[in-house]
Amino acid sequence: MAGSTDRSPIYFGAVRLSPRSVVWTLGLLLATVLVSSCGVGGLSPIFPNPVSPNGQNIYNTYIGISIPAIIIFIGVEIALLWVVVKYRRSTQPATYVPPQIHGNTPLEVAWTIAPLVVVLAIALYSFVELQRDFQPVSASNYTVVVSGHQFGWNYTYPEGFTVHQEGSLQTEVTPFVVPTHRLVRLEFQGTDVIHSWWVPAVSGKTDAVPGYDNFSWLKIDEVGKWRGECAELCGVGHSTMQIIVQSMDEPQYNAWVQQQMAAAKSSP
Amino acid sequence: MAATQVLPRPKAYDDTFWKPISLWLTTTDHKLIGIMYMVTGILSFVIGGIFALIIRLQLSQPNLKVVDPETYNQMISAHGVTMIFFFVTIFLTGIANYMVPIMIGARDMAFPRVNLLGFWLVPVSIILYYSGFFSGGALDAGWTGYAPLTEKAYQAKSLGVDFWAMSIIVWAISGIMASTNFLTTIVALRAPGMKLTRLPLFVWAQISTSILLLVVGAPLAAAMILVEFDRQLGTQFFTTQGRPVLYQHLFWFFGHPEVYIMILPGFGMISEVIPVFARKPIFGYMSMVAALFGIVFLSMTVWAHHMFTVGMNTYVEGFFMLMTMLIAVPTGIKFFNWIATAWWGSIDFEIPMKFAFGFLATFLIGGITGVYLASVPVDTQLHQSYYVVAHLHYVLFGGSVFTIFAGIYYWFPKITGRMLNKTLGEWNFWTLFVGFNGTFLIMHTLGLEGMPRRIATYSNEAWAATNLIITVSSFLIAFSVAIFLINVVRSWNHGEVAGDDPWRANTLEWATASPPPPYNFERVPPVRSFMPLRDLRESGELEEELTPEPAPA
Repeated sequence: MAGSTDRSPIYFGAVRLSPRSVVWTLGLLLATVLVSSCGVGGLSPIFPNPVSPNGQNIYNTYIGISIPAIIIFIGVEIALLWVVVKYRRSTQPATYVPPQIHGNTPLEVAWTIAPLVVVLAIALYSFVELQRDFQPVSASNYTVVVSGHQFGWNYTYPEGFTVHQEGSLQTEVTPFVVPTHRLVRLEFQGTDVIHSWWVPAVSGKTDAVPGYDNFSWLKIDEVGKWRGECAELCGVGHSTMQIIVQSMDEPQYNAWVQQQMAAAKSSP
Repeated sequence: MAATQVLPRPKAYDDTFWKPISLWLTTTDHKLIGIMYMVTGILSFVIGGIFALIIRLQLSQPNLKVVDPETYNQMISAHGVTMIFFFVTIFLTGIANYMVPIMIGARDMAFPRVNLLGFWLVPVSIILYYSGFFSGGALDAGWTGYAPLTEKAYQAKSLGVDFWAMSIIVWAISGIMASTNFLTTIVALRAPGMKLTRLPLFVWAQISTSILLLVVGAPLAAAMILVEFDRQLGTQFFTTQGRPVLYQHLFWFFGHPEVYIMILPGFGMISEVIPVFARKPIFGYMSMVAALFGIVFLSMTVWAHHMFTVGMNTYVEGFFMLMTMLIAVPTGIKFFNWIATAWWGSIDFEIPMKFAFGFLATFLIGGITGVYLASVPVDTQLHQSYYVVAHLHYVLFGGSVFTIFAGIYYWFPKITGRMLNKTLGEWNFWTLFVGFNGTFLIMHTLGLEGMPRRIATYSNEAWAATNLIITVSSFLIAFSVAIFLINVVRSWNHGEVAGDDPWRANTLEWATASPPPPYNFERVPPVRSFMPLRDLRESGELEEELTPEPAPA
């Protein structure tokens, strides 16, 4: 260790610092800041539980994978710590000669098979979730065409009008309004470069690729407003391509649709 | 031992870094070429790091305007290209160029002049890329350069994309040359007794890396040529009217194996370092080799996991998900074998060993988050968010950079004849470990909160505190790298003299002088296992082979 060598220590004034002591202090400070800022937000180990069922499935899959992941993480880190603490030469008798082991076939087979079983299980579970995610969309008769451009989104409703959500960071963008309790099919189109439509509180992201139809869906049962952003670098204004999804209950939504259609008619 | 038989030890040109420039320009010596590769790599690391600090300053608070979005997009692209193409890959080629011939008991690479040409194409590639900055703006579509954003229609005013494409083509040619050279060298120039089953694991890692680069380098160059056709000849391969997704397939067919090109040599170095400092042979040598080739094979069948949101058939997505997750198996084998090697060992936590354990502790996180990202439903939520940025840095920083530092601290005495300072090494390791985790651990949560990557700024106040902590930590990394650079420069000329074998290591490079003479060995020691030097030490033959260096004046 640093203290036991005859190298000249690093002096800061009169205080002798070892790198380890400094780093532990810094690390503890950092940990304190982390723990104290948990309440502030922005430091959750998991994304917010999404409001759309497909988003909830993703959330559940995330939790499901976390169970083996956390067990493996803790197990391996403990094994590493055990090695670090237990087998240091500095704490061993000078006569200790490590056993010269070259391998152990049953052990090696075991730690090949065990991870294989775990990842196959995770893959199967994920694949089942993936298939489930794509079932409901065929039952939808309400399709909104979402078209990405530099830098904003256009939402063309089946009623014929289009909502323009032009990108901006300074002001709140025009919300994309959806009815509650209704499965809305989203059809994605790109008109220039690739964009990606992502509202984490609703569901995962879908790319809007030029010349290529892509789709997703959402079904929101509560009234509210959620924020998202374009997730595929699309040029200078990429960060301004904000998204707001707003859900309205049926009467309110119908009124909003009437208002939009009237506005579309009146504009030349 | 009769004193009359001891020949005077030839010097390796000179002990200092400073040699006549004509020698540097024309040398075909694999060691000097290796040093030039490594110095190029480290310089690129510093340049890429400066880009990273600018990015972090810009993101430290919401709505900042340290640089404008045009510049910001060039910065993120340059950071990625510099770190991936000009730092990690180049540095690892350098360290392999230096070590592989010595480790197999060869005098030089199989094609020394190809080696020379291959190296000098690297500065050409780097200069080409940075020329973009003087042509109205460098590449600004991210290091992946997704079409159609790179097409003429959206990038008319600058030649940055053209310079990037040319640069990558030259880089790929250089990489293909180096890979061919490595494979030929390892197949043809092994010392007597150095059977394939006795190759050091670092050499095995270099074989697998070279195979990967040979296979995927050409498709990368092809993709870049097609981009150039689109831009300059008016073809429609990847344009808005063409097939932009085809570009992603071609790019990631290179791009994912590139991750393994950057990490397998690191795996190899860890497989050298842990046995030496734990005083135990590597656990499961054959399964380590098999795992390397498992990774090589699987890594070429996973590329579309970068494209789960473009809208593929779900069975195709399922295939790529499965193959991606299967990589956890060979990687797990390597992990368990490393732990088993250290288990019951007598571990001396010298700086290389600290970096090796730092690598194990952090790379694990990158591996586990990789399984989340491989799961298609979860990936649609995490893809292109800061979660991915955190994941890839755990793999490439916790993986490649920590292993590179382990390799540097381990082999610096051999390359220069002098030890790196240990106190500065401790500072280097601990500040890097804390700075790295402080930067990237909480970055996962930003992604989960919905912050996309590659945004020039953001207005969401909820992300402000986390981003500030990340920026502060990133400067701790910069501090650590500064300590490292000081250590290298100081120790190169003033470090403690190392001797031939300061670590009591196992492999042939330690059986010659430090630094080795131009022809590497006066006489290649006999090779009877994959730990030839240890065999000599234990059988008492070492005195014959290793003559003590005259005491330094």
